[in-house]
Amino acid sequence: MVHLAHLLMKNYHGGHVAIRMALGGCANRPFFRIVAAYNKRARDSKYLEQVGCYDPLPNSHNEKLVGLNIERIKHWIGCGAHVTKPVEKLLGLSGFFPLHPMTITNAERLRKRRALKAIAASEEETPVTCWCGFTESKARRDNYDNLV
Amino acid sequence: MAALGVPRWRCLWRRAAAPLGLRRPGRALLGSRGYGQDAGSEADKEKSDVTKPCFTDELVQRLLSKMTGLDLQKIFRPIKQELKPPTYKLMTEKQLAEATRKAIKEAKELLKMPPVLSEREPIDDVLAEDRILEGTETVKYVFTDITYSTPHRERFIVVREPSGVLRKATWEERDRMIQVYFPREGRKLVPPPIFKDENLMTVFREDRHEDVLNLCIAQFEPDSANYIRVHHQTYEDIDKHAKYDLLRSTRHFGGMVWYLVNRKKTDGLLINMIQRNLMDDATCLINLYHMLYPDCQSAKAAKEQEVHGIDLIKVFMKTESKKVGYIELALQAYQEALASSAAL
Repeated sequence: MVHLAHLLMKNYHGGHVAIRMALGGCANRPFFRIVAAYNKRARDSKYLEQVGCYDPLPNSHNEKLVGLNIERIKHWIGCGAHVTKPVEKLLGLSGFFPLHPMTITNAERLRKRRALKAIAASEEETPVTCWCGFTESKARRDNYDNLV
Repeated sequence: MAALGVPRWRCLWRRAAAPLGLRRPGRALLGSRGYGQDAGSEADKEKSDVTKPCFTDELVQRLLSKMTGLDLQKIFRPIKQELKPPTYKLMTEKQLAEATRKAIKEAKELLKMPPVLSEREPIDDVLAEDRILEGTETVKYVFTDITYSTPHRERFIVVREPSGVLRKATWEERDRMIQVYFPREGRKLVPPPIFKDENLMTVFREDRHEDVLNLCIAQFEPDSANYIRVHHQTYEDIDKHAKYDLLRSTRHFGGMVWYLVNRKKTDGLLINMIQRNLMDDATCLINLYHMLYPDCQSAKAAKEQEVHGIDLIKVFMKTESKKVGYIELALQAYQEALASSAAL
């Protein structure tokens, strides 16, 4: 069997193959193809192989569809392809990779922000002042552990 | 899915599923779906441990295909296809016989029965629980493995819910995703409204049971709830109005007979067969009944007395049937007709 991927990578000096998203679709209607391409190439131009697709708009069943050709993704990663962050996050959500740390970080940040807003919404009117003159609401002071 | 479940229905699949004939869509995709005719020996050995015979046993299939009949005029009647002018050929007797033989072979292919399976168990498997992701998304993500060479039954299709739970997709989601990425001819993404109960009634009134069943086979998987429901409703309606002739010489006849025999509703069919002077078919039906219920009265009586033909029907009628009067009348009429034709 002719193994071309190795030759494709060997002849590309200084760059690397990337598994990334190529944008397609129409106005106000994006559609991504997950693609293995040389990383210096333009985002939507010639790629080595299409390895999946991602539709960012939810369908009538409230689902975002992602198709992944797992066998070929494994092959390209085995050949040394880099994976970009959005694709890593998608693969983490799918269970193929472990969850991306930024996914978890963003989830935690969102949670804290929501908790803060909830506290701000339910703020009591009695402010509490400490010895240095710093004033804040009693609810916020009581909930420091949840915020930090 | 339990490891025990998978090999069992995979080999049921390979044995029971038929390569689809001319009129059935999606023939090209069948190879990749893991269908095909196996020798069937492996699953047969499993079945022989269980005393009850299965739809796919050799003997059962032979009985059912004998009852189905082989009316070439009906099988090869004109169907909606591309218009082309008819071709006429001048043949010798021998060539005509050869052509008829080939037609019979093709007809047998078209008459291969679609599989009869029990309803599939719902999939209920959670792969990961990441509650930390709760609230980040309002939409669920459906991830499908689009590797071309995996059989559809083994494809990984997982769903990440907005609550952060990663679970396997349900059967309906699976069917929908596979139709999106690997569209099959004749199958729609949303099942057409003909399969709703009210609309089925309208179709039955127009005697188009065969068309509905063909559409059902194209649209649904053989072990899905909808497939089984539509088939059972069709068979019930046919039994209610005694329209057995609509399905005779089609590939659905075997399935219908299997359904009726399993529920012991064979009387209408028996009367119909006697009225059309199909004595062999009637005896086949009773033999099938005895195979499925070897402990019933008439089976034991038949085995002791070694009866055949009309006597077998009489024994069956006395012990098992509910419409004894009707069957007696039909038998009488048949015997009178026989006697008068013999006299002539």
